[in-house]
Amino acid sequence: MHRKGSALRRASQRADTMSTEDHARAERGDQQRPSRPGEAAADATPPDDGIAAAAARWQAETRAPFVADNPERRDAFLTQALKWSVNPLYTPADLEAMGFDYLRDVGFPGEYPYTRGTGPNGHRSALWTMTQVTGFGKGEEWAKRARYMLDQGLSGLILEHDLPTTNGYDSDDPLVAGEVGRAGMALDSLEDLEQAFDLPFDKLQYLMSVCNAPQPVNLAMIIAALEKKGVDPRDFVLHIVNGILIEYTCVGRYIYPPEHGLKLATDCIEYIIRHHPNWAPISIIAAQLQPAKANPVQEIAFSLAIACAYIDATLERGFDIDTVAPYFHFVVNVDMDFFEGVCKLRAFRKCWARLMRERYGATNPAAMKIRMMTSPTTTALTLQQPLNNIGRLAIMATACALGGAGEHMTTPLHDEAHALPAEEAIRVGAALQHIVAHETGVADTIDPLAGSYYVEALTKQIEDAAFAEMDKVFEMGGALAAIRTGYFQRALGREQYERHRDIEEGRRKWVGVNHLTLEEEQREIEIFRLDEQVEEQQIARLRSLRERRDQAAVDAALDGVREAAAAGDNLLPACLVAVKAYATHGEICAAMRDVFGQYTPDSQLAGV
Amino acid sequence: MAGHTRPLRILLAKLGMDTHTVGVTVIAHALREAGMEVIFTGLKQTPAMVAAAAIQEDVDVVGISTLSAGHTRSLPQLAQLLREAGAGDKLLLAGGVIPEEDRPLLEQAGVDRIFTMGSDTREIVDYLNQWWSRQPGSPD
Repeated sequence: MHRKGSALRRASQRADTMSTEDHARAERGDQQRPSRPGEAAADATPPDDGIAAAAARWQAETRAPFVADNPERRDAFLTQALKWSVNPLYTPADLEAMGFDYLRDVGFPGEYPYTRGTGPNGHRSALWTMTQVTGFGKGEEWAKRARYMLDQGLSGLILEHDLPTTNGYDSDDPLVAGEVGRAGMALDSLEDLEQAFDLPFDKLQYLMSVCNAPQPVNLAMIIAALEKKGVDPRDFVLHIVNGILIEYTCVGRYIYPPEHGLKLATDCIEYIIRHHPNWAPISIIAAQLQPAKANPVQEIAFSLAIACAYIDATLERGFDIDTVAPYFHFVVNVDMDFFEGVCKLRAFRKCWARLMRERYGATNPAAMKIRMMTSPTTTALTLQQPLNNIGRLAIMATACALGGAGEHMTTPLHDEAHALPAEEAIRVGAALQHIVAHETGVADTIDPLAGSYYVEALTKQIEDAAFAEMDKVFEMGGALAAIRTGYFQRALGREQYERHRDIEEGRRKWVGVNHLTLEEEQREIEIFRLDEQVEEQQIARLRSLRERRDQAAVDAALDGVREAAAAGDNLLPACLVAVKAYATHGEICAAMRDVFGQYTPDSQLAGV
Repeated sequence: MAGHTRPLRILLAKLGMDTHTVGVTVIAHALREAGMEVIFTGLKQTPAMVAAAAIQEDVDVVGISTLSAGHTRSLPQLAQLLREAGAGDKLLLAGGVIPEEDRPLLEQAGVDRIFTMGSDTREIVDYLNQWWSRQPGSPD
């Protein structure tokens, strides 16, 4: 662990000033803030230091009398998610008290520990790639929307699938009635992707596909569809999320028991590294932990522990860390607490660099530079007064940019809570990133908030607490063990409840929800009504395919999938044979289910 | 809660492919904190699975969390299955994203109370406590 300095000892002496939340956390053994900088200003015995002494004098002579006459507007000032108390003032003395060392803790852009960015020139040479999520309905509808988005100046796309697909069922399975094409594109067979890929591949530099539990099936379908289109796989980047461990942690779209989920994810990583080394085989979507109310410390610690589970499994396939680590990619949300957001991104980069060097002995700089996409979170947006969300998105996108943005930034849409994205909302969402990039100046100098006493203090506190939490997870056997015992799930469940109560009891003011609410506002939620036609057409297409295809070839290919699963082989070759024979997505998933079984966690394991 | 020697027992459930669990988690914590016994079915349940669990666990209340479009089909099915199994006296609650216009259909089908998104957990706890205090004392 990092040196903690005298601030930690001072923190322990000051336990009497802890808030009730702090006490609750301490009892649970949750992430403790390892140091409480800034308290030097109010400490009775400040260190013998010019600035600390001056700050203590300022506190006594200037601030305290003022506050006596002008009581503070809140009992406690706490950060939004971590609920760490925020000091009235941060000075160089705070950084000194926590042992902050510029060269060690921050350094220079493009150099270890990459706190100030993984690139040496910030956004001055090139801006981040601007991306938006799309994907609904049938394949051809997705292609139409995707072409529109490419015309708006976007160069990357994200393909989301509907819940039947991500849970491993075909569109005609009775269990999924009403869900087909709803939350993303329905994918039953290679035919659907052949239609979806009616795209200008010259404009498309990057495609991210989200389909975690059935990942080998989805990957095989994309490879086969690109082959059919004659697209050279070296000409663009296919990026699969391949994020099954976060599904077990909080999202819930799992099929097989966790150890088999991890094995399938590793199959995909191995296949891509060996056959398509320019593609991206894995993303750790911390941005799915955040809506499940992971605080910034949990986001970093759980994400990196999960990354280690995949890394360890991939290393067992005969790769070395300097080859494997550069393939890892993270998607990180920023919420409305501006400084938690900025500092989380800065700490995230540093934690990854330290982990790769300290735990794995990586020496390749590419292994230590985190690859990251950032995004404003949809969970900050409100159904009420939806135009307010444009303001929220602008602030969060600015925080993303100031935190370093990563290679990509994606912006959700201001009316996302209401309905499926409308074209105007897509245009505003795309424009918003351009406004941040070109009109504000935040992209013109590298890591402009560095050196802020508050930003550096909070960055380091988050880093230290994240490392402590990660160590705790490693001690219990790593991320797979934390999932199998329900540790992650229960930790998030507690956060969900506490954060809900913050809003319910008014500790967090949220405009439109519990502050500045409009009495007369129609609070009705516009639920997506099933377009029966989409489902019927999709099912008709699937049934027609089943009649047209060579059933004997399909049966043989599905046997091949079962055999490969039973033998512990990499599933990709067998899945490729199956998808090319037009075996359906649900059939291939079911063949693997025959071997791996199905995962049904109880209340303890679900964290509910 | 005079007359009751045991806490209210409630089964919380998620139907179909709807995997949004934040709401049901918050409710589960709030009810447990209020002293109730909470059982969660896990995800991807069918109405038949939930009805069977409600009977097997001998719960007083069944609460369905739905943030999906399927509630107009699945909730009436569940109410029907409970009645057929002689468990129609169990209180049936629904919560989540339920449009106003669906209320009459669901209430007629046997859903006793609907708490839509944004409901205060304290209101839900009060409602359950009051309902429980009106029930005859439990024998065990």
